[in-house]
Amino acid sequence: METQAQKHEQGSTVESKPILSVRHVCKTYKLGRVKVPVLHGIDLDVQRGEWVTILGASGSGKSTLLHLLGGLDRPDKNDGERASVSYGDVDLTKQSKRTLDRYRANDIGFVFQFYHLLPELSVLQNVTVGGMIKHGRLGYRSHRKDIVERASGLLDRFGLSHRLKHRPAELSGGERQRVAIARALINEPSLLLADEPTGNLDLKTGESILDAMIEHRKEAGLTMVMVTHDERIAQRSDRVIRLADGLIESAR
Amino acid sequence: MPMLAMVAVMLSVATILITWSVMGGFLKTLMESGKTLVGDVAIVWPNVGFAHYDDLIDRLEADDMIEAATPTIETFGLVQLPDDRVELISIKGIDSSSYSGVTDFNSTMWWKPITEPTSKDHDAEDIRLSDGYAELFGQIEANGHSMSRLNPSTGNPEPAAVIGIEVTGLNQRQIWGGYFPMSPNRALADGSTEFVDVFMPRDGSVGLTILALDSEGHPIDPVTQTLPIANEFQSGLYEVDQGTIFVPLDIIQRMLRLDAAQKVELVRDDENPFAIEIDPVTGEVGPKMKEIIGVDPARVTTVLVKGVDGAELEAIRTRVRAVYEEFAQAHIGEVPDSIQMEYQIKTWEDLNRTMISAVKKETGLVLFIFGIVSFTTVFLVLAIFWSMASEKTKDIGVLRALGASTPGIAWLWIRYGATIGIVGSLTGTALGYWIVININAIHDWMGRQFGLVIWDPRQYYFVEIPSEVELSKAAIIFVIGILTCILGAAIPAIHSARMDPVKALRFE
Repeated sequence: METQAQKHEQGSTVESKPILSVRHVCKTYKLGRVKVPVLHGIDLDVQRGEWVTILGASGSGKSTLLHLLGGLDRPDKNDGERASVSYGDVDLTKQSKRTLDRYRANDIGFVFQFYHLLPELSVLQNVTVGGMIKHGRLGYRSHRKDIVERASGLLDRFGLSHRLKHRPAELSGGERQRVAIARALINEPSLLLADEPTGNLDLKTGESILDAMIEHRKEAGLTMVMVTHDERIAQRSDRVIRLADGLIESAR
Repeated sequence: MPMLAMVAVMLSVATILITWSVMGGFLKTLMESGKTLVGDVAIVWPNVGFAHYDDLIDRLEADDMIEAATPTIETFGLVQLPDDRVELISIKGIDSSSYSGVTDFNSTMWWKPITEPTSKDHDAEDIRLSDGYAELFGQIEANGHSMSRLNPSTGNPEPAAVIGIEVTGLNQRQIWGGYFPMSPNRALADGSTEFVDVFMPRDGSVGLTILALDSEGHPIDPVTQTLPIANEFQSGLYEVDQGTIFVPLDIIQRMLRLDAAQKVELVRDDENPFAIEIDPVTGEVGPKMKEIIGVDPARVTTVLVKGVDGAELEAIRTRVRAVYEEFAQAHIGEVPDSIQMEYQIKTWEDLNRTMISAVKKETGLVLFIFGIVSFTTVFLVLAIFWSMASEKTKDIGVLRALGASTPGIAWLWIRYGATIGIVGSLTGTALGYWIVININAIHDWMGRQFGLVIWDPRQYYFVEIPSEVELSKAAIIFVIGILTCILGAAIPAIHSARMDPVKALRFE
């Protein structure tokens, strides 16, 4: 979807053409027979290289919006105007599951609040697994050297070079989140989607994680959409969007 | 949990391999025993028999594919045992020298000197091992081979029979697979018993009664003859050893009137009413009643054929048919023609078909039952994998978020199932193989430790549990073990692959 040339052109500046464009997005979940509306019609643009923070209380629809941006879920089909979630020129809502799988593997990186590392794999393997998914099992063999080198480089940069063979259970919370960020960055994505990446960490550790992400974003010209309820984090971002009851309440 | 699944697969694979190998080995041993006293192919013309068999044997032995052939007569009769019991018995008239060239007759002699105890005779209890009896057993073995025994009153050898080891009931089978000979008590009319001091191959004899046949093959008068016992045989087939006696061919030919005889014709009164004849035995002179017009050759009911080593059974039968056709052409009107003989030329498998098919069906039934039991492994693997998939729901969500495709996730589980299948099947095959090749040692150990005897040679006729593993069987079971695991993993794999990634990520 996103060519490497396009990625290099971005730099850290915010460009006019949005990388993400959300129009008329509603989402309702079914809990048994009960329908629970979560998003009521979201319109949102995210520019290339921009860092957007989505703030909101629990249950406001932050994570749901993030999942829609990541192609993990699809918006409701509205009776009125058609909902769309576009990445560049590609409307994700019209894409097949296979295309969305490729989109997640190639163009975006996910960071979760609870890290979600695979407990059976080592630190290095947890990072390279992203490369394995992108290239497939056979393709991974031919790219293995490059992927391992990049994974080792990222882990080294995040201060984990001495932990490569450790299992996640042997790491602290901050270390685990650094591994998760390295995993999200292994395939050089254009877009990083982070769901409360510091929410499970103490203040100091959270700050250091955030610093690492900001530094990498500047270097790689990464677009970043981060869900949080931490105002201090929001203050550091380019733009803040406040969600309340499934609607964009305000934007700065 | 994966370890549990692997152990389940391992045990199932080992169980099937052990069952199949033991039952297959049982069938193989039975078939080999069934062949012991039959040879490869039999030409059978029952009751009346067929003549010129010497010529047929010469023609057969001239063929490249045929190693040897021997004449036999098969009939039924009654045997009177030393304690006066009378039993129905299968009688085989044989020419011991040529018969042992076609079958393993000589090796079936039970009473013979041995130097090494049999595999289960750990305490060397077998009396055949005794140095003190070595000469006696050596003589008895030679008697069995020649089917003769020295008559102590005349000092000359006389024809003798070789009887199945289980016929008389005087040989007590031991748990180690051998026999102790016993002397019988004969029941008397007043309710008492009389001890009969006899060891069959040394001084025992039996009375044989059979119905003689006329030239048309119809039974006429019963004929009885007492025969000393030269030795006792054990073929490995209980049915044979419990109901068969081998008798010298010429004796049974005489008893059945299948021996060579003068062919005579009644003289018609109107041709020469004054003709006389002299009885060659008594010398008495009388009116001529009959005229010798030739010799009716001796007959046998069966000719057994042994093919050369490596020859296919069907090829031997085809060749025997061809030879018989030439033989029938040479003796038109004197022997059954080749068309009549078409289905009377039988392989040893045909002759034992009832027994073989019974054991085959039994093997199939046991395998089917164990197969059903082992099929539960599929559900066990399914249950374990389902549980694992539930436990890994969040990890699946993470992988989906990283871009893993649904087939990719399914393939992950299938591969996991296949790995468990391969490891479980490999260890199961190895375990099964180890148990089968050591099954007798394990069985002996269980007997010593717990007094548990599953395979008792007193009930099962083979001394040892068959302990051979066929590679083809092991390979089939190995592959089925892997497929079973893949099948068990398939449903959880599909379930995982179809899992909604958002729900998976939110799963607690």
